[in-house]
Amino acid sequence: MLELHEIVKHYRIGESEPVHAVDGVSLKVRKGELVALYGPSGSGKSTLLLLIAALLRPDSGSIVLDGHEISALSDQKAARYRLRELGFVRQTLNLTPGVSAVDNAALKLMGMGVRAREAREQVTPLMDTLGLEDRLHHRSDQLSMGERQRVMIARALSTDPKLVLADEPTGSLDSRRGQEVLELLAGVCRQRELTVVLVTHDPQAASYADRVLTLRDGQLRDDEPEPRLVSVDAS
Amino acid sequence: MKLSSILLLYRLRLRTRIVQELFAVAGIAVGVALLFASQIASTSLDGSVQQLTKGIVGNMRFQLAGRSPDGFDQRMLGEVQSLPGVQAAEPVLEVRANVLGPQGQRSVNLIGTDPHFASLAGPLLHHFTATQLARQQAFALPAPIAQSMGLLSLSPVDLQIGGRIVASFLGAELLRSDIGPLVDSPVAIAPLSYAQKLAGLRGRVSRIFVKPIAGHDAEVHEGLARLAAGTLDVRPANFDATLFSQAAGPANQSALLFSAISAMVGFLFAFNAILLTVPQRRLLVEDLQLDGYPRRTIVAVLLLDGLILGGVAALVGLALGDLLSLALFRQNPDYLLSAFAVGSQRIVTWQSVALAVTGGLLAACVGVLAPLRKDIFSPLSLGHAPERTGYGGTTRALLGGLACLAVTTIILLLMPQAAIVGILSLVVALLLLLPALLDGVVLVFDRLQRPVKGAAPYLATLELRSQPARARSLAIAATGAIAVLGSVAIQGARANLQHGLDNATRDLNSIADIWVSPADPADLFATTPFHQSALVALRRIPGVQALRFYRGGFLDFGDRRIWVLGPPSEAVQPIPRSQLVSGNLTLATSRIRQGGWAVVSQSIADEHHLRVGDVFTLPSPRPTTLRVAGLSTNVGWSPGAIIVNAQDFARAWGSGAVSAYNIVLAPGVSPAVVSREVQQALGPHSGLTAETTLHRETRHREASRQGLERLTQIATLVLIAAILAMAAAMGAMIWQRRARLADMKVDGFSRAVLWRALLVESALLLGAGCSIGAVFGIYGQLLLSHALATVTGFPVVFSIGAFVAVGSFVVVTAVAVAIVAIPGYLAARVRPALSLQD
Repeated sequence: MLELHEIVKHYRIGESEPVHAVDGVSLKVRKGELVALYGPSGSGKSTLLLLIAALLRPDSGSIVLDGHEISALSDQKAARYRLRELGFVRQTLNLTPGVSAVDNAALKLMGMGVRAREAREQVTPLMDTLGLEDRLHHRSDQLSMGERQRVMIARALSTDPKLVLADEPTGSLDSRRGQEVLELLAGVCRQRELTVVLVTHDPQAASYADRVLTLRDGQLRDDEPEPRLVSVDAS
Repeated sequence: MKLSSILLLYRLRLRTRIVQELFAVAGIAVGVALLFASQIASTSLDGSVQQLTKGIVGNMRFQLAGRSPDGFDQRMLGEVQSLPGVQAAEPVLEVRANVLGPQGQRSVNLIGTDPHFASLAGPLLHHFTATQLARQQAFALPAPIAQSMGLLSLSPVDLQIGGRIVASFLGAELLRSDIGPLVDSPVAIAPLSYAQKLAGLRGRVSRIFVKPIAGHDAEVHEGLARLAAGTLDVRPANFDATLFSQAAGPANQSALLFSAISAMVGFLFAFNAILLTVPQRRLLVEDLQLDGYPRRTIVAVLLLDGLILGGVAALVGLALGDLLSLALFRQNPDYLLSAFAVGSQRIVTWQSVALAVTGGLLAACVGVLAPLRKDIFSPLSLGHAPERTGYGGTTRALLGGLACLAVTTIILLLMPQAAIVGILSLVVALLLLLPALLDGVVLVFDRLQRPVKGAAPYLATLELRSQPARARSLAIAATGAIAVLGSVAIQGARANLQHGLDNATRDLNSIADIWVSPADPADLFATTPFHQSALVALRRIPGVQALRFYRGGFLDFGDRRIWVLGPPSEAVQPIPRSQLVSGNLTLATSRIRQGGWAVVSQSIADEHHLRVGDVFTLPSPRPTTLRVAGLSTNVGWSPGAIIVNAQDFARAWGSGAVSAYNIVLAPGVSPAVVSREVQQALGPHSGLTAETTLHRETRHREASRQGLERLTQIATLVLIAAILAMAAAMGAMIWQRRARLADMKVDGFSRAVLWRALLVESALLLGAGCSIGAVFGIYGQLLLSHALATVTGFPVVFSIGAFVAVGSFVVVTAVAVAIVAIPGYLAARVRPALSLQD
């Protein structure tokens, strides 16, 4: 489903030596699989996510999603790809302030040209699933941090994306709420057979994945021990 | 906390918000500048006449004033001097003269006085004491005026006085070191006897200024009144300044009103900018609260922010305002020159400076403290305070707004004299109702855009419904709304007035095909008398059907210098038909023709409790009893006008002199051709000029437009300031939203969609603000037009200034959105990766 082949991305800051953010990474993610990219800060996992999201272009290598090369898309096509094929869950909770939860969640559908009422109707069942049935019309400032993250997940999943990218989705939450959110995200994605790439440096978060890949210095390390996993009921 | 610590804290914080702070400085400075510049314009107008009056009268207390341009017998001086209690008396002859220089002409007030008395008078005449002017048979001019016409000292020069051109001699140029600021006054000074000779008024004076011995004021006043015997006026020596103040009142009031609106726009400009720094200041307040500082320290820290901001902005504003007053507001209304010697000096009073500086400081302090009042006075929230939910007091605001609207309506219907209060209550109503109206506009747009596919309109409405940005959105909308309200109200009222003045001009001039009157351009109202000449030659010109005598003049009636018009009885329409507001036109016309009747301006009639049919005495050189045939507008002269027939005028003035010849042509004859022939017949040395009705009407219209030009200039400046304020605030608001825009890009929203959304949002917010302002502006226009018509009696043609309203709204919105498009485009280009950076 998602296939990365020998991806290289180097940065150069001023006259200094280039930083090998991603250095020859290859991986395959099957449809419906939840893969965690685990690694410490600066290991290159977020850069890899940006590359998969077509927000960055690799220096070399290819990224293929469902048979389509996405590493060299134009800005316009990349935007279209992110809108229609991708769901992005991130650490920052940039909901439009003062606007209802359902409107925030329906935003991406609007971008696809769905009329406002239909978009709200489409996203409501998903929000129910995410436990937001009583919070649909609450403004963002009336939601807890965990609820805000669930709205962001609803927005990401609202378009039935082929691929969900989650960048430290629990970074802004305490461990209990983080766990709740991850359980929901993993649960809903599995239920819908969505493919998920989760980037985290939190072993607790990584434990929700079907497969954990460790990144260090821009390279996937098979020799690294997996993070200590916690028993999780993924049902 | 010590002051030095507060200052250090200020300096450290300033580094992180210098741009926003400069933006706020610019906003307040614009408001201060507009306020200061219009204050200078206003004080200069009044002040120039006050300075001239003071320059002539010095410490004299009373004046015995003639009522006619011919003045009165100089021998009255002896009688005045012999009155008990009189310390000194100074005779003065004042005549309007047009100085004809090689490089232009200039209308001046020729002042003749006796050098023996000059030392008693004001600084303008002090210069006389030791000059050789008396011996030279010459006059003196302020140096700038002489230089502007290319005149040099000790050179011959022609003067046009009344209908004559007389040769004279410029004896001296008066420098600033001689007469101070009066160097900018349009005066010429000559020895009394020489001035009398030039004017053809030997043995006549216009006024005698009197200085009583201390404690003998009442006695001297009584003696003067006895001498005046009802044919002369006894007035305070500086009475001209009072008369001028009355005449210039409407112009000054409208400028003052615009100043207030300008200041409000400036304040909103600054408020928009200050809102940018509110989050930083909120964090500071929280930090200080956490550190245990008392509330007064927190207020002191914020107050210092406001004072420094306001102080710097006030200084910049004063400098800008000074430049503005030099570049734009320098020219005084020409029409006032017909009756007053208005100088071109700029007078900056300490009151103007204090008002502007206080306004700037106050705006800054309110702008800094008001948004943080809840943070200062509520318990510590540590950044987790719920987002502001906007107008908690929506109902109160609505009720307050409706109440203010009711106040405006009451003023419109019952108390038009309180029009300025009405406009201010209208502005307050606008501010209070704006949130609800803006919500309404957004709601309607939201409903309209629902069937439309595409994210841009939806994103735009989403942002406008966003509560945290509401204060900023409202401030931006209010800026446009108030600027457009002020502009539409005053520009609309100006257009109505202009239309009315044009009608008056047309009716007044249409009584003849060709007008022959003194060539002095300041003789706009045909009020300078001249003695009849060349009549036979003029009547012989082919095509001339009739030559009639028109008389006119200014007369001090109570506290007003009124315009008395004396059209010929034979005129087809001696009463300007568009100007009659009460009475029957046909009957009034026949009565005016018959004689003994007058059409009186409504404002004069109200002051003297006159109605149609009532009898009153015109305080003319020969007091004349007349009956009121009808009531009119003020015919374009703010103190008011009285219309009698030319014969009644001659009787009342005791003079057969005329102010103009009215030439009526045979049908089919070209006025332009005959006009040239009339000019030839008058001869090259005549001080008279012939002009067709069309030409004269055009000149009048230009003068009235020029008189109202300052309002247009201020309106334009206010709109420009509003455009810049709104565009800058909107741009800044968009720029601060880049993280969220980046987020949307991660979600797949394209740059084009985001840019379109920003443009729709800007257009909606700015357009809604400006259109709401335009609607309120039309109401304001109605109020001001009504006040102009009923209080000052100006000829006003009521119409809804839809064109002005739509024009202002469209131009302001379009230009502001066009400017915002640039930061919008740049913000929409934000890197999506910004969203993922913590």
